[in-house]
Amino acid sequence: MALEGRAQDAAQTKEVLPPPKTGLVTLHWPDLMKLEAEVREQLMSLQAGLTATVKDPKATTATLSEAYGTMGEIYQAYSLNSPARECYFNAGFLTPQDFRWVYLLGTLDQQEDLADDAIRRYRIAGTLRPEYVAVPVNLGNIYLQLNRLEDAKENFKAALAIDEGSAAALYGLGQVALSQRSYAEAVNYFDQALAVIPGANRIHYSLALAYRGLGDAEKATAHLAQQGTVGVRVNDPLVDGLQELIKGERIHLIRGKLALESRRYAEAAVEFRKAIAANRDSLPAHVNLGAVLIQTGDSKGAAEQFEAALRLDSQNTNAHYNLAFLLANENEHGLAILHLQSVLSVDPNDLSARTFLAQELLKSKRLEEALAEFSRVVKADPDNEDALLEQVKLLEQKRQYKQALDSVEKGHAQYPQKGRTAATLAYLLAASPQYDLRAGARALELAQLIYKATGSLEHGAIVTMALAELGRCTEAAEWQRRLIATAERERKTDLVTKLNTDLKRYERGKPCRPAGDPGAQANAN
Amino acid sequence: MRTWFIILTVFFIVAQPGAPFRAAAQQPAIPPAPGGRSSASIFKEVAEQVGLKFQHYNGMTGKFYLPEITGSGAALFDFDNDGDLDVFVVQGNVLEPNTQASSTLFPWRGSESPRGRLFRNDLVIAKDGSRTLHFTDVTEKSGIAASAYGMGVAVGDINNDGWPDLYLTNLGHNQMYLNKGDGTFVDVTQKTGTDDPRWSTSASFIDYDRDGWLDLMVLNYADFSVTNSPTCYAATTAKDYCTPRVFKAPGNRLFHNKGDGTFEDVTVSAGVDKDFGHGLGVVTADFDGDGWPDMYIANDGDPNQLWINQKNGTFKNEALLAGAAVNRDGQAEAGMGVDAGDFDGNGTEDIFVTHLMDQTNTLYTNLGKGLFEDRTREAGLGMPGTRFTGFGTLFFDYDNDGWLDLLVANGAVQLLPGLVRKGDPYPLAQPNQIFHNDGQSKFVEVSDQAGAAFQLLEISRGAACGDIDNDGDTDVLITNNNGPVRLFLNQVGNRNHWLGLRLIGKDRGRDMLGAQVEIVIAKNKTLWRRARTDGSYLSANDPRVLVGLGSATHVEAVLVHWPDGAVDEWQDLRIDQYSTLKEGTGSRRK
Repeated sequence: MALEGRAQDAAQTKEVLPPPKTGLVTLHWPDLMKLEAEVREQLMSLQAGLTATVKDPKATTATLSEAYGTMGEIYQAYSLNSPARECYFNAGFLTPQDFRWVYLLGTLDQQEDLADDAIRRYRIAGTLRPEYVAVPVNLGNIYLQLNRLEDAKENFKAALAIDEGSAAALYGLGQVALSQRSYAEAVNYFDQALAVIPGANRIHYSLALAYRGLGDAEKATAHLAQQGTVGVRVNDPLVDGLQELIKGERIHLIRGKLALESRRYAEAAVEFRKAIAANRDSLPAHVNLGAVLIQTGDSKGAAEQFEAALRLDSQNTNAHYNLAFLLANENEHGLAILHLQSVLSVDPNDLSARTFLAQELLKSKRLEEALAEFSRVVKADPDNEDALLEQVKLLEQKRQYKQALDSVEKGHAQYPQKGRTAATLAYLLAASPQYDLRAGARALELAQLIYKATGSLEHGAIVTMALAELGRCTEAAEWQRRLIATAERERKTDLVTKLNTDLKRYERGKPCRPAGDPGAQANAN
Repeated sequence: MRTWFIILTVFFIVAQPGAPFRAAAQQPAIPPAPGGRSSASIFKEVAEQVGLKFQHYNGMTGKFYLPEITGSGAALFDFDNDGDLDVFVVQGNVLEPNTQASSTLFPWRGSESPRGRLFRNDLVIAKDGSRTLHFTDVTEKSGIAASAYGMGVAVGDINNDGWPDLYLTNLGHNQMYLNKGDGTFVDVTQKTGTDDPRWSTSASFIDYDRDGWLDLMVLNYADFSVTNSPTCYAATTAKDYCTPRVFKAPGNRLFHNKGDGTFEDVTVSAGVDKDFGHGLGVVTADFDGDGWPDMYIANDGDPNQLWINQKNGTFKNEALLAGAAVNRDGQAEAGMGVDAGDFDGNGTEDIFVTHLMDQTNTLYTNLGKGLFEDRTREAGLGMPGTRFTGFGTLFFDYDNDGWLDLLVANGAVQLLPGLVRKGDPYPLAQPNQIFHNDGQSKFVEVSDQAGAAFQLLEISRGAACGDIDNDGDTDVLITNNNGPVRLFLNQVGNRNHWLGLRLIGKDRGRDMLGAQVEIVIAKNKTLWRRARTDGSYLSANDPRVLVGLGSATHVEAVLVHWPDGAVDEWQDLRIDQYSTLKEGTGSRRK
């Protein structure tokens, strides 16, 4: 029996509460030392209360049962399942007609995959409270897991007899039908479940599978596009009520994080606020609540949370980074820069922050600093193509053409498959403002490869530049005319204007090479 | 394109090993398998007894760093081509800078720093068939300097010289070791361009463009560093290991073998950068039956990817519509290990993925043409999988009855309350599991028949299978985090008949990974298997194909579908022994 196994496990612990009566089991106190202080205090206080009740010779059976049961609920709320099990066992032994204890024991069995024990206990619970819909739904789910489909169906139908709108029961029946490859029946049940809880977007996946089984690929694809992470659960006030017993910030942080990861932002916000209520100095709660509020569009609320976090820890990099994000969105680039610099003073290796900083410096027209930051990013992460191209652009602006070409050459050598890097290299080889850096033949070869792969008009224009650089002006003009015709068809008017300007030069004949920077030639000479 | 063919007489290499016998070591002989059935356990654990002494070190310091519970794997491969499987075991190291291995929570006791180790198999088979198995640690001589924080290992012959090479994945820079064929290896990571400095896990060699050169897929797990690792808590509010979701997924990498000793990173151009998660397990096979190898990637907490080969150097992730991205409830699970095999005998590759406890290990059955259905519950794998956290996993036929069974190596990733209460300083240990395939698309757990050592509570991670003693049944090597490596010798498989095949290329004898074998036992009984080293978790398997024949005493034909699409047929192959089938030497069919 499960309890015996668990009690044996627990027998290693030293702290125990001996049973006051025959038939009850010894309660093994869990080790509370590693728990959050507030939780530890809560549990110790309740344990002291239970001890007093157990030792009270005047305590009635009902009082004793309630004391054990309540302690069990608290343990279960914190996932301390082993002592919870002992408590429920004693409570149920003392008051076997009390639905709660046998039902909660069943939930622990189910959680720990002790199917036979769970079934036995749920059946007892069902006789004590036949109207409690979670009992047949849970039984149905266990049978489903055991692939006892007829038993599962019977229990889900029993649940519908109690609550005809039970989405969990309808979903379960859909799953039974799916297992039996009765796809039309599955669609029917899943549709009903979805109608009850439209937000349960995970049902769309089951619907997609059912439609796939029916050979309706179109509907299957449509449902896949709507599928999400929100599932269906049964209405279970007893288990849901356990959550209200929880104190401390950590458990709310965990739940908030889980909700945040699943993009259930409203739920995440509630949990993080509870964490702050438990500990107003909770740094992760403030930072995470801020992150959630960004997602819900409450920028002001988010900023308040990040500022609160920074009051607690002025070096918190996440708070600084997120504040920078909010400020940047409001075009407060100067302030955003200050926060990003704070991040980097704590963690100079934070490349996300450094890239962000470089972008903000660029927006603030602080070009020298932006170039320095982009260069640092490229050095640390050569895979960052955006940073590389910004660096090249800034070097070109500073007329450091050789450095720009060197940088893009290096990037292309490391990541030849990166298209924008390759295109930039082809462009510079064809049309660098510094003539002696150009290499027309190589530019043409590279540009043709890129154009062949992408078919982009902009890349076609690099081919014409390379032809022009090689003095093949007639061909360049011919190419350019074709590009213009296509650009006109696609109504790309800006591009048409640009291409026409270059076309005139190509049509004039040699020398038709792209214009350079006279200053650069002087410098190069 | 092939334009000519030659029909040769059936090509046999009779009974391994080809190499001369070595002097018997001071080890007990393993008696030949008895003819009749007895109540013997499936496995006998012999690692230490046969010289396979290895203790994994994870460098943990009590700060709950995710990598310390993640590794490591092992490889079974015949590095010296003497006909028996040698062993490489991956090792961890310290995680934090300025930390001494001897001063961590579980201090390193070795005389030299922790590093991956190579063990040579000195198997001796006497004339009466009895076997003496012994391993010799040849790490020093091999030139393999695997002293990074190791995770996994993949095996493939990257230069088609007939000598299997090693790719080691690490938390940090990976290493490619070229087998020189003289018992030594040389680090060619830089030369080949196959490094990945991120946290890599499983890797797989796959000739995805069918050009005759093995390409390489490398999975990456999480953007972890000791400086970016937050404090995480269990539901009890006590500190615990973080899930990988607190770290960004870095993306995987596909390297194309150019055939000149170098590889090219084709991640972007092949399209495999488009979808990725926290990658842990990879297996390659022709999932849609079009003759081109595909890839299936198990992600921890994210939808899995099924990369279908587009036959033009690119892949398309079709997992979601195929029904293999998430479980039947539409939930992405914590994918750890993965294997593929035709468990139901319908000629298609099914997929099995191991997960966290409270989730099932999930069986995706292949309905044909690359469509899958989660039939975990129907196969009897629902409840048994939810009790433990699975990592390494193998489809293999332990009893040679012709049906692929399943093994799952377990070990938790979050502290187990029962063990915490007992005062266990590293409370993650769980027993391993083995399931027997009943031939009716159902599995029955037979862990209690697998031998005492199989039920030890350990934190198992990698699992690799192969016929280590060349006796015609499949043995298993299991690695344990912060524990010893275990070698489980199969005690029962060769009571049934079997067919052992090594599939090699036409030129210099490379193992032809990805080749599919169609074994026609009788008119209405055909088995499909494939040559592979990948699958499982962080580990590499025997590339040979060992086919259980049950009571069948004859195989009508064996057709090998080579990776390039050509097919060779052999008839009347001798059973109960290994044969080497060389590409182009069967009776060519197409």
